[in-house]
Amino acid sequence: MYAAATGKAKPVEEEVITEENVYSRPDETIAFFPGQVLKDGYVSTFILLACVVLSYAAPAPLSEPADTATVDYVPRPEWFFFFYEQMLMFFPGYALISFGAVVVPTVFIVLLFAVPWLDRSPQHYNSISRPFASVLGILVLIIVILNMLLAVSRIINFPEA
Amino acid sequence: MIGRMRTQTTEASKFLVDWMEHRTGIVTIMEHFLYEPVPKRGAWLYTLGSAVLFTITLQFLTGILLLFYYVPTTDHAWNSVSYIMTEAYFGQLIRGIHYWSANFLMAVIGLHMGQVFFSGGYKAPRELNWVVGVILLLLVIGLAFTGYLLRWDQDGFWASVVGMKIGSYSPFVGAYTINFLMGGDVAGPGTLSRFFALHVWLLPAAIAPLIGVHLYLLRRHGVFGSEFEYTERLAKLHERQRLEEYADYELDDDDENGRDGGGSRRE
Repeated sequence: MYAAATGKAKPVEEEVITEENVYSRPDETIAFFPGQVLKDGYVSTFILLACVVLSYAAPAPLSEPADTATVDYVPRPEWFFFFYEQMLMFFPGYALISFGAVVVPTVFIVLLFAVPWLDRSPQHYNSISRPFASVLGILVLIIVILNMLLAVSRIINFPEA
Repeated sequence: MIGRMRTQTTEASKFLVDWMEHRTGIVTIMEHFLYEPVPKRGAWLYTLGSAVLFTITLQFLTGILLLFYYVPTTDHAWNSVSYIMTEAYFGQLIRGIHYWSANFLMAVIGLHMGQVFFSGGYKAPRELNWVVGVILLLLVIGLAFTGYLLRWDQDGFWASVVGMKIGSYSPFVGAYTINFLMGGDVAGPGTLSRFFALHVWLLPAAIAPLIGVHLYLLRRHGVFGSEFEYTERLAKLHERQRLEEYADYELDDDDENGRDGGGSRRE
């Protein structure tokens, strides 16, 4: 069921390294257990402890019960939707909102699915040796982070809008 | 006496392990899983992926516990959440872990995705694992969206209404999708039932097998953290290529000058 990756069967010394098999085995390996499991365990424990502390230090929020008759309530999305909410601010009005809310994210998601086929050179794993993909990725990151900051500053400056 | 008991215990446990191995092959499977060689230098990078798995597991466990008290009706949803927060044993802790690990989950997914993108981990033969990962991301976003409404407070309710309003602007399919999600013309009891069904049944049922596929593909092709795990092998390859190129160049040079006739000095 679990076929070994190619090149693993041969001893290191006898193997001739070619373009095809250079990435089939890393320089140094450790056994998954205990080396990797231990490190995973450290991170998981840290996250669990952080969750436990935060659930008492900053309890999960619960505002007043939903009232469907309210007309002036200004809801806030959760922080991971901030960039999306902020992006909608750049597409005001009935004509543009469908473009900003649905068309742009859909195109982005389709591109996300297509990433392995848009960047096909097999040997260029390093981000420096494939600058186009890396610059694009950094641009997306900057846009997301700037949008989140804009949303935060908008919420701080105009809590009622 | 103690020595004999120890021998007996050892024999009994050995018998049990052999019995299980003979019938299920469990020992072989465990050895295969646990002693799989993984790249040493990227070990801390891979903790991002396992942290995603861990936080999703926390979501499943605390979600099941929350279901013991939560009531998905418009009359009782908010009251049951409030009961969990104030009265139920460890209710605040369990809802707190559910809430905070969901926040961590979104952050860690972003980091994991960025790590895979910038190290080129999606390249052949791992393309399908990237595709499965993107599907998992969309499912998690769906879970985050549907979970917000369930507490039935002003924040969650109106944020979901706004979210559905935004979704209704989708070309062609918007009206149908939102009608399906709302279960009526306005957000109300039908909406809560549907979000509940999506959040605790449909999306988790979809996400669990896909996590299995994601892990299977990971093991199938091995982890790929970054090029720096292959530095020495790349150096060896480049050295060999350089030598070959040099040998070819010398050969060509000889042919052009008509000396030696080539071939005999091939090394």
